[in-house]
Amino acid sequence: MTMRRIVVVGNGIAGLTACDSLRSAGFDGELTVVGAERHHPYSRPALSKALLHSVDGDSVDGNSVDGKSDDVLQAHVLPEPTHEATELLGVSATGLDVDARLVRLDGGDELPYDGLVIASGSRAKRLAPGQGAAGPRQDGSLRELTLRTIEDAILLKELAASRPSVIVVGGGPLGVEVASGCLHVGCEVTLVSDVKPLSRQLGDHLADIFTSAAVRRGLRVVGGGKARLLDHGTGAKVVLADGTELEADLVVTAIGDEPNIGWLAGSNLLVDGQLRVDSRGRLRPDIVAAGDVAFFPTRRGVERVPLWTSAIDQAKIAAVGLLKGDAAPEFDFQPYFWTEGFGLSLKSVGFAPVVGTPDFCEPGESADSMLLRWDNMDGSGTAVAINYRIPIPKLRRLADVGPAAVRPAAPARV
Amino acid sequence: MRIQLDRPRCEGHGLCEEAAPRLMHLDDDGELVIDVPDAEGADLDAAKAAVRVCPVAALRLAAA
Repeated sequence: MTMRRIVVVGNGIAGLTACDSLRSAGFDGELTVVGAERHHPYSRPALSKALLHSVDGDSVDGNSVDGKSDDVLQAHVLPEPTHEATELLGVSATGLDVDARLVRLDGGDELPYDGLVIASGSRAKRLAPGQGAAGPRQDGSLRELTLRTIEDAILLKELAASRPSVIVVGGGPLGVEVASGCLHVGCEVTLVSDVKPLSRQLGDHLADIFTSAAVRRGLRVVGGGKARLLDHGTGAKVVLADGTELEADLVVTAIGDEPNIGWLAGSNLLVDGQLRVDSRGRLRPDIVAAGDVAFFPTRRGVERVPLWTSAIDQAKIAAVGLLKGDAAPEFDFQPYFWTEGFGLSLKSVGFAPVVGTPDFCEPGESADSMLLRWDNMDGSGTAVAINYRIPIPKLRRLADVGPAAVRPAAPARV
Repeated sequence: MRIQLDRPRCEGHGLCEEAAPRLMHLDDDGELVIDVPDAEGADLDAAKAAVRVCPVAALRLAAA
């Protein structure tokens, strides 16, 4: 059928990219985007990177906005959208009727659609879900901070400025970035992780490089799973499975994310509680999904990849999938990941975690600068640059083709 | 509108080049080169798309 009205639920980078991609694919009908956050889309990766790492007085901008000192709070700002969609900001979708083609909104309104893009994202998991320990204390302070939204980031930044002791629970990229940021602004930081930080995402070799740099800079790393949160005076206490108790002024948890699919209960779109799209981002001909909320087929099986570039790439595919159906291109997911912390900036192309030591290593200009490549068991390659400036297309060639992509051919032997 | 690059912030992710290949590219050393600094009309839409996909918000648009 002809799509005259498209509704996009979610106004993060996936929703924004979907709107842009629908327009550039020629959709000139009525476009409505529903965003639970009150803001236009912003750069979420910047929250735990540039924003958290900046110190008052730093100008991350280079040119001061109105001469104010809050330039540091600009690191995440993206320009205003140009897709000319009707934006319903601060509004959540609460239900979906796939037969009547209606999205229900909080407040009771209903939005009819011909085509629907589900890009409702995910939210931070919490150590102490629900009420009780997760809620604010009587004085209003929070027992457990997470970092997902700009409000979370600004609160964490404000609290960290008085240099409290901090426990970060979770050894994934977000936990490591938060720990790095808090350490950078002068906090005493303990990172609690059930495995070696970053090993699950990157593999032991790269995790060791990060952990060494972190420990050299003063991070305390404590191993231990099944952390629990206890209320404790003005601070908080984290209790590990072996009974170890850790205390700090502030606890930040970074233990993963959960897709925002509550509003889809009863829609019959969920399979085993998951939103699984096909290779063109489709759930049905008139409904696609993209971003942190979606599971999609990759060369290594059906996965959810809640990362910035993944959201952008999925949304481009899904927008065209919605408009063109089977004539749309299929998604060939190319993993791209970056993280920074403790003076290291890492970019990775190809599937990770990588196993064992690299098959290729080229040192860069400084001691901690290197370009690495792994030959994976499945024949693919993974290329990683640490403090090594290289265009991503070139890093991709290194992953795909091998070292010949970055080295001039050796002179032929005569 | 003029495309402004905060060079220290740019990490060479290259998403901008994908969004606006006519206006910018990463050179062989991973440095972003703005080929068309003043974007108008269709270029302006591409420039805005490029600015938006930058994960480190290293690109801005300012009145020319």
